[in-house]
Amino acid sequence: MNNQIVKNIVRFVLLIVIQVFIFNKINLGGYLNPYVYLMFVILLPFETPGWLLLTSSFAAGLSVDIFTGSLGIHAAATTFVAFTRPFLVRALLPKLDKGSGYLPGINSMGLATFSVYTLIFVFIHHFILFFIEVFRFSETGSILLRVLLSTLLSSAMIIILEILFKKKD
Amino acid sequence: MRSLILFLWKHRFFLLFLALEAVSGALIVSNNSYQRSKFISASNGFTGNLLSFYDNIETYFSLKKTNENLVAENARLRNRLKSSFLLHDTVSYLVNDTVYKQRYRYLEAKVISNSFQKRNNYLILSKGGKQGLYPEMGVITHNGVLGIVNSVSDNFSTVISILHSKSAIDAKLLRTGYTGTISWDGSNYRFGKLDNIPSHVDVNQGDTVVTSGYSSIFPEGILIGTVVKAVNRKNKGFYDITVKFSVDYNRVEYAYVIFNMLKDEEKTIKEEVGNE
Repeated sequence: MNNQIVKNIVRFVLLIVIQVFIFNKINLGGYLNPYVYLMFVILLPFETPGWLLLTSSFAAGLSVDIFTGSLGIHAAATTFVAFTRPFLVRALLPKLDKGSGYLPGINSMGLATFSVYTLIFVFIHHFILFFIEVFRFSETGSILLRVLLSTLLSSAMIIILEILFKKKD
Repeated sequence: MRSLILFLWKHRFFLLFLALEAVSGALIVSNNSYQRSKFISASNGFTGNLLSFYDNIETYFSLKKTNENLVAENARLRNRLKSSFLLHDTVSYLVNDTVYKQRYRYLEAKVISNSFQKRNNYLILSKGGKQGLYPEMGVITHNGVLGIVNSVSDNFSTVISILHSKSAIDAKLLRTGYTGTISWDGSNYRFGKLDNIPSHVDVNQGDTVVTSGYSSIFPEGILIGTVVKAVNRKNKGFYDITVKFSVDYNRVEYAYVIFNMLKDEEKTIKEEVGNE
């Protein structure tokens, strides 16, 4: 368990750093920005207590907010998606035994289930994110297209990262 | 009371979620009205330094692009400089004299493009048809022959350099007066060849080679170069003479274009000879 806490803190810091300094600089087509820091919330152990799940997700979103200057937007979206995570896990993995020390990932879930899990997860987050953004900047026209394209991009990045690093975890 | 606590405990996950969303919402609203909390502005000192440090590094990756932009801007500004405009007035004088009729007139021109490394080299002058230039005019510098005007546009003209495979300029040895033709073999831009000097002539190293004045292009006696090597090919009956050009074609800035004011007269009389 201690090992897991250290591992997740390291992952938190690393993902925020690469999000802020690498992926925030990527701007495909002017506005497509992959948000890989979500991987932190996706990979939190299934047995993480609810309060920790929510607060650590809030912290991750807020960290990205501070660096991008979009205060509160990422925090709100990430907290929301963290709130939906237990329901999502229950729907996708009905037979999951919480006490078994089972971790999310390709190794345990298989590539297909992990991809579906990631896609839905990222879609919810991006939908909330762009929804709040549009509320502020009133560019309603292309919002759904943006959500869909960004979801595909972010999910692809997260799945690739998971494939690259799964043996270490 | 107990049941209220039980209720709150039962729904702690949802209530925490609501609380965090409320904080987020408050942040969004306060950020929107530019009233940031103390916590955020304090942390901004740290993130600000981090971001500016990162920006310092990132700047290096865009140096090439920045440089290109600066060059483009330089070019744009340079276009507005006075030196980018052609000066349309000319410095040339006509002299009326009852004893000497002026035959040649000179017009100064700036060499704006010049080559010397190719087999066929051209120069471009900043004077053209509007200044009275026409093809087949001679072009010289202060110390020697440059070439012959090839084509003319309104404000520019191209000059076939003496460093050209088709260049053949009538020349003569100043000391003895024998005439030949100057050409260039394409090897070293500092040296040309003088052909058609017969074997019986006395040719020394250091002899001066000037224009002969037989063609109507150049006046007589304009410097071309000096003899550096003369090999007598007695079986052919001619010398192989290497001439060092007096002009360094690598460094040509200004040129004079020669107007032959009696050109038409010379041309008609030469045609009469040719027709016979």
